[in-house]
Amino acid sequence: MHPLAENQLLRTRRSFLRAATGGAGLAALTSLLAGQAQAEGTTAALPHFPPKARRVIYLFQHGGPSQLDLFDYKPALARLRGVDLPASVRMGQRLTGMTAFQSSFPTAPSIFQFAQHGRSGQWLSELLPHTAKVADELCILKSLHTEAINHDPAVTFFQTGFQLAGRPSIGSWIAYGLGSENQDLPAFVVLVSQGVGGSQALADRQWGSGFLPTRYQGVKFRSGADPVLFLSNPDGYSAGARRRFLDDLARLNELKFRQTPDPEIQTRIAQYEMAFRMQTSVPELTDLAKEPDATFELYGPDSRKPGTYAANCILARRLAERGVRFIQLFHRGWDQHGNLPKEIRGQCQQTDQPSAALITDLRQRGLLDETLVVWGGEFGRTVYSQGTLTETNYGRDHHPRCFAMWLAGGGIKAGISYGETDDFSYNIVDKPMDVHDLHATILHCLGVDHTRLTFKFQGRHYRLTDVHGKVVREILS
Amino acid sequence: MRVWFAALVAAPLCAAPALEFNRDVRPILSDKCFACHGPDAAAKGIPLRLDQEAAAKSAARGRPAILPGDPENSELIRRIMHPRRGLRMPPPHSGVALTAAEIETLRVWIAQGAPWQKHWSFLPPRRPEPPQVNQAGWVRNPIDAFVLARLERENLAPSPEAPRETLLRRVSLDLTGLPPTLAELDAFLRDQSPEAYAHAVDRLLASPHFGERMAARWLDAARYADTNGYQFDGERSMWRWRDWVIDAFNRNQPFDQFTLEQIAGDLLPGATLEQRIATGFNRNHRANTEDGIIPEEYAVEYVVDRVETTSTVFLGLTLGCARCHNHKYDPFTQQEFYRLFAYFNNVPEHGRAMKYGNSPPLVAAPTREQQEARETLARRMQKIERELAAEAEALARAQRAWESSLAAAPAQFWSPAIGLDAALPLDAPGAEQAEGSLSFVPGRLGQAARFDGASLLAVPGAAQFDIDDRFTLSLWLYPEASPHGALVTRMSDRPEGKGFGLYARQGRLHFHLTSNYVNDALRVDTQPVLQPNRWHHVAVTYTGSKMAEGVALYLDGRRVDFQVEMETLYRPFRNAGARFAEPLRLAGGGGKENRFRGLLDEVRVYARVLPEEELKALALGMPVHQLAAKPAARRTEIENRVLRWQFLATAAPAPIRQAWQEWQTLREQADQLERTFPTVMVMAERPQPRDTFFLMRGQYHTPGEKVTPGVPEIFPPLPPGAPNNRLGFARWLVAPDNPLLARVAVNRYWQMLFGVGLVKTAEDFGSQGEWPSHPDLLDWLATEYMRTGWDTKALLKTMVTSATYRQASQAAPELVQRDPENRLLARGPRFRLPAEMVRDQALRAAGILTPRLGGPSVKPYQPDGLWKDLIMQDMEYVQSTGSDLYRRSLYTFWKRTVAPPMLVNFDAANREACVVRENRTNTPLQALNLMNDVTFVEAARLIAQRMLREAGPAPADRLRYGFRLVLSRSPSAAELEALGGSLAFHRDHFAGRPEEARRYVRQGDSRPDPALPLPDLAAYTAVASLVLNLDEAVTKE
Repeated sequence: MHPLAENQLLRTRRSFLRAATGGAGLAALTSLLAGQAQAEGTTAALPHFPPKARRVIYLFQHGGPSQLDLFDYKPALARLRGVDLPASVRMGQRLTGMTAFQSSFPTAPSIFQFAQHGRSGQWLSELLPHTAKVADELCILKSLHTEAINHDPAVTFFQTGFQLAGRPSIGSWIAYGLGSENQDLPAFVVLVSQGVGGSQALADRQWGSGFLPTRYQGVKFRSGADPVLFLSNPDGYSAGARRRFLDDLARLNELKFRQTPDPEIQTRIAQYEMAFRMQTSVPELTDLAKEPDATFELYGPDSRKPGTYAANCILARRLAERGVRFIQLFHRGWDQHGNLPKEIRGQCQQTDQPSAALITDLRQRGLLDETLVVWGGEFGRTVYSQGTLTETNYGRDHHPRCFAMWLAGGGIKAGISYGETDDFSYNIVDKPMDVHDLHATILHCLGVDHTRLTFKFQGRHYRLTDVHGKVVREILS
Repeated sequence: MRVWFAALVAAPLCAAPALEFNRDVRPILSDKCFACHGPDAAAKGIPLRLDQEAAAKSAARGRPAILPGDPENSELIRRIMHPRRGLRMPPPHSGVALTAAEIETLRVWIAQGAPWQKHWSFLPPRRPEPPQVNQAGWVRNPIDAFVLARLERENLAPSPEAPRETLLRRVSLDLTGLPPTLAELDAFLRDQSPEAYAHAVDRLLASPHFGERMAARWLDAARYADTNGYQFDGERSMWRWRDWVIDAFNRNQPFDQFTLEQIAGDLLPGATLEQRIATGFNRNHRANTEDGIIPEEYAVEYVVDRVETTSTVFLGLTLGCARCHNHKYDPFTQQEFYRLFAYFNNVPEHGRAMKYGNSPPLVAAPTREQQEARETLARRMQKIERELAAEAEALARAQRAWESSLAAAPAQFWSPAIGLDAALPLDAPGAEQAEGSLSFVPGRLGQAARFDGASLLAVPGAAQFDIDDRFTLSLWLYPEASPHGALVTRMSDRPEGKGFGLYARQGRLHFHLTSNYVNDALRVDTQPVLQPNRWHHVAVTYTGSKMAEGVALYLDGRRVDFQVEMETLYRPFRNAGARFAEPLRLAGGGGKENRFRGLLDEVRVYARVLPEEELKALALGMPVHQLAAKPAARRTEIENRVLRWQFLATAAPAPIRQAWQEWQTLREQADQLERTFPTVMVMAERPQPRDTFFLMRGQYHTPGEKVTPGVPEIFPPLPPGAPNNRLGFARWLVAPDNPLLARVAVNRYWQMLFGVGLVKTAEDFGSQGEWPSHPDLLDWLATEYMRTGWDTKALLKTMVTSATYRQASQAAPELVQRDPENRLLARGPRFRLPAEMVRDQALRAAGILTPRLGGPSVKPYQPDGLWKDLIMQDMEYVQSTGSDLYRRSLYTFWKRTVAPPMLVNFDAANREACVVRENRTNTPLQALNLMNDVTFVEAARLIAQRMLREAGPAPADRLRYGFRLVLSRSPSAAELEALGGSLAFHRDHFAGRPEEARRYVRQGDSRPDPALPLPDLAAYTAVASLVLNLDEAVTKE
């Protein structure tokens, strides 16, 4: 930030603080929480145009769900079971080190039945009975493709627009651009399903702020006593004592400020107050005890168990209600190199009902129109079997050349599908959409022009979409 | 900068004195125009370049962009002011726009004749004369003259000197990362001599904690971590490099040498171990161990990382921008990027890294203590050798007598005893579990087991080795058909299964260790050497190196060459917590199709690498009495040796037998000791240089033409006589005509002390970097650094003893408003402490900080399950205990994917890639961290104990004492009153809640002092916590 601009901002903070009484400094926080891009004044005011969505819930399906067994119906494959993938389809594309040395590439059609659903007639596999019920709300993207072929770079690419770690995550960009709508909660919250799919490692940096200030990083809420690290007072130290502690602290810091008028001191006082409010607001948020039984029935039996994907979907809705800007769930376990039929069934049992319930729930509460929901992983899976193909069993390797995701809610056309792949779901034949395009489109729904959300670092004006990306207007409502 | 100009010079531009191109104009052109009209213009098909004077002023294509003296007829002005949006520059899609002030600057500059300058940082620093100033009495050294001259221009006066307590805390934190102890503080306050401060600075510079403090920032720049990064993020070991850095700072190694050794210490003539360790700098990058990766892709990323890190740290340049295209702002072509790339592209490495531990090339790097222990063992062995030599004649006599007695004694065979894991004589059915039918028939030594091609023997519990263990397998075999099948294995009993095994394969000797047959295995094969229907002795040794070079195969006592079918193991058998419970099998393992047909005899398994002579001896297969029966002159050397060994082990006089036993034990101890040596990944050169290619769009699989190593054109060439390799590059970096190294280095020291560098963009001295706030001061410091032989301590001393540094940091609101970042330096620095100091200070004040330097990284308190939430099952955060809980934060284990949360909360660099700019935020998570993290709650209780035990009975004294422990000053009356109020509240609070008080003071591993009254201890703990949470406590003033 320009020194003067920063100074301007700090002075604004200070006058707010002076106006506030009793050390609450609420108004000051409003300015603290505003996106810095806005305060920077170097890019046009944000949002750049009226947004369709005010927030995003991104349901990240980590590991690479099989488009062939969920969304991309390929009836012609049934006749080709076991036939070696034709070279004309594979076209010499690179494979991972796990199957590159395989002696054959037998075609493995999905063993799951597909049917059309809803007025829109979307094709979905039998693995997704609940998603099928909200098919008319979905925009199914069938022509996503990515550059990365392994998990870490592929997830990093989806999260930051670049395969190597170091750039800000999408949630950080959005927090930086649009700030928060809630003074008591971070703008970017992350929830990771626990207890399942533990074979894939995740990294904190996937929601890191890269070169953006760390205040824009995603805050991971954990299940258990301390949803936010260090949230609880030490054992034996009560909330009442903490209130007095903070008053004493503010008094001492004010004494300091009188002697040394460094605006950082006032900011710190305000941040301690926000910390105190988080001590109340976060447990209130994460405590599902007051949810009616109907909620748990909607989201399914897992939803009563803290840390599950289903429970996290309820939390996502609660975060959305409270104005959190970017809510991201991570659910692992989609990396089915072997035993795919059995494993994907279990995976869908954990995720299908809660994902669909979230759509239903948001719609019932009138939040779906202003919330963009994103469902998808980091790449797809191969049509050929990794390992031995049998009548009932097969595995699939990573496949970056085409895969499916879905979007729903604010700004997105409902009940459509977009893009097409060849008969093998191996190559895209119509309307390819890359990761940058998805990012550009998500930002567009939030009223942000992806070419104008920038941050200067190491001499360059960086963007989430780097120098790429186009908004896919055909899917916008 | 432009803002400075407008706001601080505060004069209308048209009346301004001559504009300076580098300061006033280049930043505008660079930021707003160069992306298209810059070094990469041609590649985009854009004819006009504005980064080159001749092109910008050329009339070759019609009206010149810049017509000196005539803004109205300059195309540039016409276009930036064009009334039609579509024709106005920069175009809307560029995302950048010119402000009115910028347009005016460009107009005035052209009106003034458009004088051009080469980019400032590419010109060598010249040593400026310190300027004349009015308030000369304020100047303590030349730094102050430069600073004051600027202040006087701005009509500002410097601030008075900081209070002495403040100054000592400031300089102690800056030079050692720790606040002063009360003893140090009191001694300083008592010392009224004019040299008191200089003495304190000398003391701090001599402290071993100086090296730790300096290393903390160097580790950020060098992206040091204790794990590999990427997805799996397994552990690596680079702490010996980290300790080398601490040591280098402590012995004040000249910075040019420090640089040279880290870039190319391995290539220095007669490189020492320490110089090789230094090159770990460029192996600290992330390394991918994932199963499915394409190794070539990551091999490229590692080299790119080296180029980017090296150019950021030593040149302050963003050369990584030229990886995919010519640099958009600075005069570096993509070609030049790959020429630099070539210097770092000759490491004998593989794109896929070891999943656990270090990846080659690496060196064993014993610590000083370990080196001493090894020497001690060697000395003890030599002593025994001397003793045996002294007895040589008597022993020879005794041995001859023993030899002649042997014929009458029962047959004995020599075999080594140390490290024996399993000995299977196969003379009769034993504890082994037989599968299928087998018989015992006369063998090579006694009986042997005969396998029919379907049977096997299993030995549960034997040979429980993993891929990082050393071992030896030795046996006799007699193939009854074409030599084929499993000899001795520990692997799953299916083809291509996991485990290890020694095989005969169509007459070849075959050995493998397999984690995954397709892509994670080590397999070697000899030529056909085994013959049917005769006895062979075979053996294999494996060092645990995970590489084929760690394997040796022996046939009938001779080493045999082998071909490598697969080179490297990455994942252990125990991967991801897997149990690997296969038994040792004879004649089986690897499936039914791999059973051996024939006789096996005398299978021996050792948990060590047997030396060649011992394997030769085993292959003799002759009882000692037969050896003895041979006339001495006709015995081979090894036969003589076996007799000697057997004599020393069984028949020599008791003291000699003991000495021999001890010698062997010592040898094994030395071997084991060496296996505990930490290793460090280092740089090395391949014997056959690897070709480097231009990579189109920066992608590994689209190579273009071959390139040779070289430095960018804009800079001076390699120094005369320097080889054109990494060493030559390193010599070029530290050559006196490199315009950047010294500037970039002194700027980082300045940033460390003042919070912001003289060049704010510490990572970018290029065109998009910021113009220095004090260009002459920067050059004076740079030339001073070189003039003093790159003496880092001397330079820091000059900085911290300047009047500029010694100013008070409190300032009037008007000054804060006018200069919020303190770039003019009219006051002392005031900014939040770096993450590691926030914690280290609390531990120091609590009196519990472990002062020990170096060693493996430690795992202090961390909330439960943080790793488990995110990572695979087989890496657990096992919290350290005892004094390791209280080491300096520099030693905290840094796992890249789940970095230490407290350090991350306080803006520590991420250690994923090089970071040289310090980052500071102010967040509610920091507040929660300081209030509730057990680290700080325990520290508060320990401070409370000190207040209660060390400060007398009066509450005011106790409060003053605790306050001073953290802040190095006494509280004011108002502060004391506030503290007293808090204490009274908390005492009342806890007096009524003894159970809560008891729980509150029991945080952390240390026990509360039972002698202290509970409500008092709890109340003082709360007040100590209050002090630790003060803005001032986490701030350097």
